[in-house]
Amino acid sequence: MTRPSDPQAMTPSKPGRTRTAPPQLPDDFWTRPRMRTYLLFDATGIVYLLVGLIALRVAWALADGAPAWDALLQSFASPGYVLFHILALISAIFVGVRFFRLFPKAQPAQIGPVKPPPPAVLHALLYAAWGGITLVLLAVFGGIWP
Amino acid sequence: MKALLLRFEPIIWVLFGAGIMVGTLLLPGYLLTVTLGAPLGLLPDGALSFERAHMIFSNPLGRLVLLAIIALPLWKGAHHTRALAVDTLGHHSDALIGSLLYAIAAIGSLLGIVAVLAI
Repeated sequence: MTRPSDPQAMTPSKPGRTRTAPPQLPDDFWTRPRMRTYLLFDATGIVYLLVGLIALRVAWALADGAPAWDALLQSFASPGYVLFHILALISAIFVGVRFFRLFPKAQPAQIGPVKPPPPAVLHALLYAAWGGITLVLLAVFGGIWP
Repeated sequence: MKALLLRFEPIIWVLFGAGIMVGTLLLPGYLLTVTLGAPLGLLPDGALSFERAHMIFSNPLGRLVLLAIIALPLWKGAHHTRALAVDTLGHHSDALIGSLLYAIAAIGSLLGIVAVLAI
């Protein structure tokens, strides 16, 4: 006579520690393109953090008046700031291209009754929004509009 | 500390997601003009003079955009720098580094609100 199967039959009496090995960075990570790109994507975090703190300085300078604003723009013309802001621009483009490529893949198949647009359309919409917002900011901050 | 980070994780992820999306959408236009174009004299005369910059950033939409440029990159930056620290240094110092980075983002965001309201 057979007994019904017991799904807990093999469970140890005491819950053991997980045997999953903690993730470790391989010594040769620098030679692995996927890992290198992934770490570079993470490293843009340092740049973004500094961009946010410097933007805080922009707001304080505007609040402090014309001399503070002029001094800020003058300091931004120094080589260190120029190089950093070029690096920040490259970082923002890198993050945008990588994130917008991943974004359509991360969408659920259906949101309530609505299905998201096809990945190619979503991808194009993201780039259109990025380009449009950049053009508007260039026009407003660049003195062209309004 | 780790438990606290896990508790706030949904909020951190919302701010991180907004940082990576909205921050990235806004940064090229901001960087090309405010931080590179104006200081290097590449913009038309007076485009970002104090009077015009003050006019732009003192209206409600301008304040909101400037706050987004301050706060959202801070959260994206804090979360990704934490991930970089975990990947390169391991998990043992994650609670300390994560808390420190999110504290910088939170304090920076609060100072950002104060600063844009003071313009």
